[in-house]
Amino acid sequence: MFVHYFMTAKPLTIQPEMPVVDACDLLREHSFRHLPVVDEKNVLQGMVTDRDLRSAFPSSILADEERQKIMDRVSTTPVSAIMTREFVSLPVNSTLDDALMLFTSRSIGALPVVDSRERVVGIFSVNDMMAAYRSLFGLGEKGSMLVSIQDTGEPGCLSRLVTALEKENIIFTRLVRSAGVGNREPAAIYLRVNTFNLSSVHRIVEGAGCTIQVSDWDEQEENINNAG
Amino acid sequence: MTDRKQITIITDSALLEHDTGGGEHPEVPARLDVIRQRFAEGALASVLDYALPQPASREQLLTFHTESWLFRFEEAVLSGRTYIDHPDNQVGYESFTIATLSAGTGVTGIDLLEEEKVRNVFCLTRPPGHHAEPNMPFGFCFFNNCVVAARYWQQRGRQRVCVFDFDAHHGNGIQTAFEEDADTLYISIHEHPSFSYPGTGWAEEKGTGEGRGTILNLPLRPGAGDRQVLALLEGPVQETLERFNPEAIIIAAGFDAHRADDMSGLNYSTGLFHELGRRLKGWERQFCPGALLSILEGGYDLGSLAASVDSYVRGIVG
Repeated sequence: MFVHYFMTAKPLTIQPEMPVVDACDLLREHSFRHLPVVDEKNVLQGMVTDRDLRSAFPSSILADEERQKIMDRVSTTPVSAIMTREFVSLPVNSTLDDALMLFTSRSIGALPVVDSRERVVGIFSVNDMMAAYRSLFGLGEKGSMLVSIQDTGEPGCLSRLVTALEKENIIFTRLVRSAGVGNREPAAIYLRVNTFNLSSVHRIVEGAGCTIQVSDWDEQEENINNAG
Repeated sequence: MTDRKQITIITDSALLEHDTGGGEHPEVPARLDVIRQRFAEGALASVLDYALPQPASREQLLTFHTESWLFRFEEAVLSGRTYIDHPDNQVGYESFTIATLSAGTGVTGIDLLEEEKVRNVFCLTRPPGHHAEPNMPFGFCFFNNCVVAARYWQQRGRQRVCVFDFDAHHGNGIQTAFEEDADTLYISIHEHPSFSYPGTGWAEEKGTGEGRGTILNLPLRPGAGDRQVLALLEGPVQETLERFNPEAIIIAAGFDAHRADDMSGLNYSTGLFHELGRRLKGWERQFCPGALLSILEGGYDLGSLAASVDSYVRGIVG
């Protein structure tokens, strides 16, 4: 659950003195969108994004003379002149929750990860976050499937379920209990089981007094259509 | 040539000897027995005949599988192991030999078709194959029968081979074999990977590199049935086949999407399999006359399995 498991470690960084044009080439060359700017001790000074860099260049609708003037200026402008100094960073022991809160509260695509001396040790992007959750939930793991079970909240139902599965040697790699979201997502227990033997899984789940959950979207859609 | 039967069933009683340990394992020898019995008693009895398979050669298996997997598989069964890697993959002493024979059913069928000795071929075989990966078994499968057949057909001169898979489960092993290969096409209609084994077969996966565009995954929501399948056949499947223009079509024929089979949440009728057979035969006539080969994959509810295979084969012979 820690960002350092999923971040890109030792990311490419640049110095504040680097000309904007060189930083731009670097981003293009590596297909990155964010570059941490660090001093000689690797301490974070700021962040530049592809958007910051693009806006430093002249607009294509300007007259040639005006364009050239701006281009001359950009070729000597250091990154320090355009970088964001009021950046947000993640301490290296941050959790995925910390990162998710920042991603959702601010429009940021990537966060630098720093150690206790503010030195850059990694970068953690929204894509890294998705990969982390994909890995946590086991999405795409060959040989597995997700089973969704109605959670009635009845005391002991989770322990009955787990005991029954273990007794029958049904391997499961993920177990998530969700209280649901209002009246949209029902309360459920999600199991990722590693077996082809679906009929056995269903029999065991039902034998433990639980009910397999099926999507009710078709019903909802029908209601919407009827109402329309 | 007039004495040729309308369809040839490639099978061998030795295929019953792959022992999955009894208990609750769904991939049982009785699967083949009930189908043979149905053939014997039903309307097809007078229009089909039987042929014995030859085992796949080591070279044929190695067109997809690794040496190390062949060695590991053989060593595991000879040393008395009861499963390999996962309790799903139950084996007995004979399983290596029988899996080799199972992989040979498609090869034998191709020889018979290419020599024009038969009109249509259905390989009545087990263990199934479409989950098997190059170096490991998966989901009751040890050797990938369809991939071994496809590679053999290419060696016999038909380069553009399509595998169409209507088993309820995605054939991850076939996708592994074909996803970077421009000469093959894999079309799979299966239960959505969020809800179904083996958790692969996303619509977004279309092949990579030179193979981009040669994987067509068509996942269906649990509960989907005949109407959804027919819409896919008339839309994306037809379009993709026309674009690819196959020289041979191999069918990964699984029957576990039948509504009575509890190994999936799909809801196909027995009649849908007749329609699948009829349409696949139509595509063979359109694209590659004489080059349609069906290989049994899943199907675990014995009653609906026998009826569905019978229905499918009747669809093919017309």
